Amino acid sequence: MGLPSISPVFPSFASAQHNVWRGDELGTADMQVVGTGHAALDTELPGGGWPIGAMTEVLQHRPEAHVWQLLLPALARAVQARSGPVVLIGAPHEPFGPSLAAAGLPTEALMWVRSEASAARLWACQQALRCADVAAVMAWLPQARVGELRRLQLAAAQHEALLFVMRPEAVAQSASPARLRLQLVSAEGGQMDVHLLKRRGPPLAQPLTLPARNARMTALLAASQWRRQRSRQRDIEEIAATKDATSTAAKGATVVRLELRKRREEGAHAVDRLAVA
Amino acid sequence: MQWIALRWLDQAAPVGTSCASPPSEEAARPALGRRGGDPLACLAGMEVSIETLGWWALRYTPRVAWLDEALVLEVSACERLWGGRQGLMRLMVAENVVPNTRIQKVEGPTSLVALARLRLFALGQKPPVDIPSALPLHTLTAAREHLDVLARMGCRTWGDVSALPRGGLSRRFGAALREALDMAWGLRPERHTWLTLPDSFEQKLELPALAENAHELMWSANRLLASLQVWLRARQRGVLALELEWTLDLRRYNGVDLPPHQSIVVRTAEPTQDMAHLRRLMSERLALTKLAAPASWLRLRSIDTTPWAGASTSFLPEDNRKGDKLHELVERLSARLGAREVLVPAAQADHRPEAMQGWQPALRKGAPPAKSKPAKSGSAPKSDKAAPAGSQQPDALFPPWLLREPLRLEMHDGHPWYQGPLRSLVGPQRLEAGWWGDKADDEGGHPAVRDYYVAESPEAGLVWVFRERPSGCFASGDVRWFLQGLYA
Repeated sequence: MGLPSISPVFPSFASAQHNVWRGDELGTADMQVVGTGHAALDTELPGGGWPIGAMTEVLQHRPEAHVWQLLLPALARAVQARSGPVVLIGAPHEPFGPSLAAAGLPTEALMWVRSEASAARLWACQQALRCADVAAVMAWLPQARVGELRRLQLAAAQHEALLFVMRPEAVAQSASPARLRLQLVSAEGGQMDVHLLKRRGPPLAQPLTLPARNARMTALLAASQWRRQRSRQRDIEEIAATKDATSTAAKGATVVRLELRKRREEGAHAVDRLAVA
Repeated sequence: MQWIALRWLDQAAPVGTSCASPPSEEAARPALGRRGGDPLACLAGMEVSIETLGWWALRYTPRVAWLDEALVLEVSACERLWGGRQGLMRLMVAENVVPNTRIQKVEGPTSLVALARLRLFALGQKPPVDIPSALPLHTLTAAREHLDVLARMGCRTWGDVSALPRGGLSRRFGAALREALDMAWGLRPERHTWLTLPDSFEQKLELPALAENAHELMWSANRLLASLQVWLRARQRGVLALELEWTLDLRRYNGVDLPPHQSIVVRTAEPTQDMAHLRRLMSERLALTKLAAPASWLRLRSIDTTPWAGASTSFLPEDNRKGDKLHELVERLSARLGAREVLVPAAQADHRPEAMQGWQPALRKGAPPAKSKPAKSGSAPKSDKAAPAGSQQPDALFPPWLLREPLRLEMHDGHPWYQGPLRSLVGPQRLEAGWWGDKADDEGGHPAVRDYYVAESPEAGLVWVFRERPSGCFASGDVRWFLQGLYA
């Protein structure tokens, strides 16, 4: 008696098996994604990128830190694909166009909604999600409650929008309707640790480490550090040389020093003259 | 000639009682004017005005007129366009402009016959076979004054009256009755005051009750907006700007003289016939408006309209994304939050970081989607567009966050301090600009003589700071450090 009732059920269950996500493996994308631009992060995210049509929560200590470094590549791609603006809602500071343009996000593709009230931010966020032309929405919602976030998540799902919500670190332990939650922590040596708090996949034991600065900045910092080290070394060498000179003859040492100072002054004059010319 | 007579009835009320008055009462009433009390009384509770109904009917035929309580349409020239007379009538019912009402529609060879049949239909009587001779006399407006006399003479139908000698009939009852009969038989051309569409929309409406706050205006404004939509569709135009004006009921309030009117103007970037967006904008604007005194009348006027091009859609599925348009989003956000809170950047040719970009209200920037879309559709226009804005060099070394007002840093032991002592990593980068500006006026900006450094703060990470370089003209006593940008 039980068999005939089971047999029609079983094939449908078998055919639906590819839709079943097992908790110990990384979920596949059942929606569109945008590549994050960070290879290490792509491999750990379900589908290999930021989900389109779901909320992504970014938690961190300071609202302004690391956001651009993490999101800029994806935002640049989204703007290219959809040719609409990125709407910033309640950004903590003024975004600086030239810097963002260098990372591929054109200056004219920004729209900045300044509003202090939490309710106004949520409303603006919902309106922006409803707009078909908007490429992505970045919202800073430090005071949002779970119910309000759920509405945003639904709006994002309904209109297939790319939504990033920035929230403080303190809410890391509380429930959230977001599909993907990350926590960013500054690390030593210009790196940031990305803790994946929630994803469709097994929990990640080790945080991912991503560079917290762009390539040019890293190179510049390295170069200036190298130059500083070299000049320090040269100073040490010079001092050593002077010490040698003092040990051999006191008069000669003063002469050398004078020459050094003179040379430096001449150099300064030359620069000044160049500047005047 | 083919005529259709239309009348609107409340859906809830049973046939023949709501609008159609009983014949005895009608007979007692003096001769009805062209727009007699009936349609007004009938439509008082409806959501569109009398004018609007006429505008709506103008979409089917250019010959529309009010005849007593009914709207008559001459359709002989246009019925083929709408797929026959029956098809046209079905279409009218399907596109009924007044919600929650039923349209009574009757046809006839002349407008008077159509009207008479409509009146019979409203009374629930079957029309006679022999039309127009057998139509009862009370359905003829011109005969209503003389119903009693004519009845005593034994005349009960139109045929009875028209059989009377012409001369005597005219002398006894006036020329109007004989004229009407001739028109009904088609012996004489009909004269009507044809409805026309005005060049610009303007409608007034008395509020059902004095409106104390701006939100109460919205219900009546909805009626006006519905009329506007009918007008726009009939004239094939899209609206760009509207003015909603209300008349204040008081001259003085709290000892202050009041203007007679108050108004708001609602603008949209792209012409539209869709009232949902305008309604939302209007309610946002009204929510921010305070009525100086209770309002009694409402007037809606179109300020700017353009020919309606229709909406073009694409076959590509990715182009047909559901959702609002960008300009609608911008307008809605600006309406509620204020235009100064919704900003788009504009690159400027300057070397001072705070002057490199200006933020403009997104609303005032003409049409942002129209500007940005062609720039991105091809690569060539993009480079063209980049050229004039090329003064703003993208540079990855700039910080992503800028402080428009540089933050003066505290000094501890001669060292700048921002959430801890700053350690200089890169610099100085010397900047000397803005000498053309005067300190007094804000146009040129302040002269900037600065050395920029990338420094590291123990708490805030990399920051972008500058030191005001003491120079000849702007020498000040102590060295001042400022924070202008934040990296990660």
